[in-house]
Amino acid sequence: MIKTKNLYFDTAATTPLDLRVANHMHEINKDIYGNPSSIHQTGQKAHNIIERSRKKIAELLHCKQSEIYFTSGGSESNNIALRGVLKKGDHFITASYEHPAILEVAKYLEDNNIEVSYIKPNSNGTINPKDLKKEIKSNTKLVSIMAVNNEIGTINPFKEISDICKDNNIYFHSDAVQYIGKQKINLNKLNIDMLSLGAHKFYGPKGIGAIFIKSGISINPFIFGGGQEKGIRPGTENPSLISGMCHALEIATEDFEKNSSHINNMEDLFLKLLNETKINYKVNGSPRLKGIINITFFDYDGHSLLLNLDMKNIAISFGSACASGSAKTSSALLSIGLNEEIANKTVRISIGKQITDKNIYYLIDTLKEIIQ
Amino acid sequence: MKNKETVLVAMSGGVDSAVALLKIIEMGYNAVGVTMKLWEYNNVGGNTLKENNCCAIESINNAKLVCERLDVPHYTIDFSEDFENKVINNFVDEYLSGRTPNPCVRCNSYVKWDTFINQADKLGAKYIATGHYANIKNNNNEYKITRGKDKGKDQSYVLWGIPKETLSRTILPLGNLRKKEVRQIAAENKFENAQAPESMEICFIPDNNYKRFINEYAKDKVEKISKKGSTLNEDGEKIGENDGFINYTVGQRRGIGITNPNPLYVKEISSDKNSITVSEKKSLFSKKCKVSNINWLNNKIRLPLNAYAQIRYNGQISESKISDNDDAILVTFGKPQLAVTPGQSIVFYDNQEALLGGGIIELHES
Repeated sequence: MIKTKNLYFDTAATTPLDLRVANHMHEINKDIYGNPSSIHQTGQKAHNIIERSRKKIAELLHCKQSEIYFTSGGSESNNIALRGVLKKGDHFITASYEHPAILEVAKYLEDNNIEVSYIKPNSNGTINPKDLKKEIKSNTKLVSIMAVNNEIGTINPFKEISDICKDNNIYFHSDAVQYIGKQKINLNKLNIDMLSLGAHKFYGPKGIGAIFIKSGISINPFIFGGGQEKGIRPGTENPSLISGMCHALEIATEDFEKNSSHINNMEDLFLKLLNETKINYKVNGSPRLKGIINITFFDYDGHSLLLNLDMKNIAISFGSACASGSAKTSSALLSIGLNEEIANKTVRISIGKQITDKNIYYLIDTLKEIIQ
Repeated sequence: MKNKETVLVAMSGGVDSAVALLKIIEMGYNAVGVTMKLWEYNNVGGNTLKENNCCAIESINNAKLVCERLDVPHYTIDFSEDFENKVINNFVDEYLSGRTPNPCVRCNSYVKWDTFINQADKLGAKYIATGHYANIKNNNNEYKITRGKDKGKDQSYVLWGIPKETLSRTILPLGNLRKKEVRQIAAENKFENAQAPESMEICFIPDNNYKRFINEYAKDKVEKISKKGSTLNEDGEKIGENDGFINYTVGQRRGIGITNPNPLYVKEISSDKNSITVSEKKSLFSKKCKVSNINWLNNKIRLPLNAYAQIRYNGQISESKISDNDDAILVTFGKPQLAVTPGQSIVFYDNQEALLGGGIIELHES
């Protein structure tokens, strides 16, 4: 029943699994079944796959092996960072347009007597480090600012932000789920204390992610169990998911130049062709990660555009999705100052490495058919 | 595929709309399943993890599974704001003014049909379809709603308020099926919801506990109503006390708490005075009633008119005369009617069982 001919322009939501990663995981799933905590050789095999992955991932991110913890994904990593560090009476600063996996945790923290300040992004969709400075107080313990906004694709000046945090002796966490695997990072050269990533944003499997926690930071866990991942995230590990994530990150790093130049070309082609039409549009946000295009079509309702494109087998994204499959006006767009009417005419088109120029032509033709 | 007309099928997640979708596909249309999300349960408590009703995640998921099974796209569209403004708030206001509202009718009349047609336009669909047990007949481009074949399930009663101009774009594929057949078709096709229980409640009150709903949703307003209401006899004399008018509906027998040789029933409710008037059953019959919010589904209606009136869902019909009376429509029943309830719908049929229209029952004369 799965339609295979879908044209997928929603890689910011999730990416298709790289076939090389799928095969790699399949091999592990076939042969490796031991419990990584077991003493016998069957268990050791599983254990070593995990540790080899940890070593490789640390190498790719330029951090220590001991600083990588495996989690179920970005949301769990974010929870571990925020809930692990903050205590009653602490002050926490974050951005008003973070992913719900930060904002909902912040709400929970507020209910538990932790003070939270929300910095608004400017109209370009980025956080101004000066605005952060203004919010810092004597009890500020943690700052969490996303590397790339998931809806607008804007890149935050996280080096500057991390330096400010360092100067003020505050921990800095970044939700880098949209960044890792699409851009290179050197954690050794940045003052980042904690960083969240998820494999399914870089052609890896779903249900697996990691958190980087700089040595020396003490984390209070909220899941208790058998002590795996140094007690920060107990529960039997999944070697094939972990190794699959590692392999996906290796491929993403190896292919970095090739992929980013391809995605740049596809985005340029898309905008060039769009300019040749009579469609009235504006791309929001700057500076922006290429491949995440948050775009307002002034003459068309965004939700209807999504449905009409879907009926032509083209997948894009609109608003904030919820469990039932309906959508609400994007709060991120409202927070960069778009009014509700404009926000409701705005969609996200994200371009992944699998998109071809033929796909772009088809997308443009279909947009013309629907909007004009 | 290209030349087929597209039909938007309203999917509640229940078995009826699932079979409606199948029928639409069998008729040769290009179908799209749409579930209207009308209500967010988290807003009003109740046991949201237990209830299975439309707008609940499980129901929407069932709709999606059936659509995938039949290889049609499914979308959920959030109409909750409109629904709250036009249906829920009205339900609460009506209830708090001592009337007995019918939110399903109100939803069909003011939310569902218009928004569905609107959505159909946006998706390039010519028609909409629902799983109501009723028929729409076209006679020389004059469209009329008639009763469903399954007399026990006929739902034409709740359709009196839909905008007349939408009839030509509406398909009701279950009109000639019985519920039993619909269940059978669902089972034969292995629909995920084939065994789903019948939903009899109001969709936004899945636990059927109106009192809890009103108390939670309109707490401030409810708190203003004194728990000490008066119970009056037909002469207006106070014969007892009750715990507030909102606990009663016209025709109710239980919970009156006054002993009498014959059982007593609620005859009238006054929100202004926080009183209920009780009487024996024989005083509950009315010969006439006033009707507001009239919607005629037929262009040729001229008053006065003789028609068959029905004052409750699945109720008996009565030959009646409908006439203009100053500012209101007056209905004179051939046979006096029991517990004519303000806020409920009254609908009119011709002798061919075609729905002529309907309206909302107002305070009646005995």
